[in-house]
Amino acid sequence: MNDQTVTIKVPPIAAHLAVLRTAVGGIAARDRFTLDQVDDLRMAVEEAATQLLRHSGGSPIVMDVTPTDSGLEVRLSADVPGDVRIIDESSFSWMILRALADDLSVESLQTRTTVVLGKKRLAMARDAE
Amino acid sequence: MTAQYTREDTKDLFARLQATGDQSYREALARLHLPLVEYLAKRFKDRGEPLDDLIQVGSVGLLKAIDRFDLDRGVEFSTYATPTIVGELKRYFRDKGWAIRVPRRLQELSLRLNKIIAQLTQDLGRSPTIEEIAKMAGVTQDEVLEALESGQAYSTTSLDAPAGDDEDAPMRMDRIGEEDLRLDNLEYFASLAPLIEQLPEREKMILGLRFFRGKTQSQIAEEVGISQMHVSRLLARILDFLRQGMEGTAEY
Repeated sequence: MNDQTVTIKVPPIAAHLAVLRTAVGGIAARDRFTLDQVDDLRMAVEEAATQLLRHSGGSPIVMDVTPTDSGLEVRLSADVPGDVRIIDESSFSWMILRALADDLSVESLQTRTTVVLGKKRLAMARDAE
Repeated sequence: MTAQYTREDTKDLFARLQATGDQSYREALARLHLPLVEYLAKRFKDRGEPLDDLIQVGSVGLLKAIDRFDLDRGVEFSTYATPTIVGELKRYFRDKGWAIRVPRRLQELSLRLNKIIAQLTQDLGRSPTIEEIAKMAGVTQDEVLEALESGQAYSTTSLDAPAGDDEDAPMRMDRIGEEDLRLDNLEYFASLAPLIEQLPEREKMILGLRFFRGKTQSQIAEEVGISQMHVSRLLARILDFLRQGMEGTAEY
């Protein structure tokens, strides 16, 4: 995260996930991502946020979107009580996210679970500047 | 004069209509088969539209069927008319899906963007950026994004008809040829297998191409012969279906 980071926090209600999806689409579009990539990111955010929502015990879901040299880093996090490991590497979600994002990791710090998605800008789009 | 007609009356009326072109026979045929329309319309009554409206819509289908029916084919008229009436009702819900949620200007922009995206993808040899699309369409990036979102909204309204502006485009399954379309990898996810079985062939294929073959949406659009926006809508809908399915509430 840096001073360019956009942070959005929504209550854990399914209808609000659309806000996260729309926001990440808007940010990626302005960062000269291609249509395919914008759609990938939106879908990835929806998938990750849905999984967090399902396991968060009523805690808000926070999304941080940070521009990096190569693209965007999206961190989605929520408090996940208990010993639940969401999106482990054998899950369908992991496979979906793996296809949609260029980088993927899940971090757990005490009860805080964070899904980190990285999407690289296409070199072609950057050169066209 | 409605209740007493029999199949013979139907044949007789069609013979007279085709011989004379007298529209009163057409009207008589329509009245005679109104109970069929009512019966079929009732099957759609749980979707939040007044039954009277549905009967009206179904009647349009009935009239189309009357106009197209050929007595010499030897099929019963009711057999012939049923799919036409049901088709008209489904089309109504599909159009309604657009009309309720998406303003006309967005529908139109959406259709226009489809063409622009296809053209740019071809010219650039890659998926265009939102900025490039906006520039070519002469609209703002926000308007492009809004149109893309509206496509997503539409995708969730119509559950039994394939969504989209270009759904009538020929399916280019033949181009995929003998390629193995079974999703072997998915069998690993045992809970998903029965859900994926419920997907239409095209949806299965799109799911496989995106998540196992790693094809981009643009590549899939090219391969399957539909627009990128349509691929996007279908993927969003498929994932939504699978998510709901794992919760045990899905119906595709």
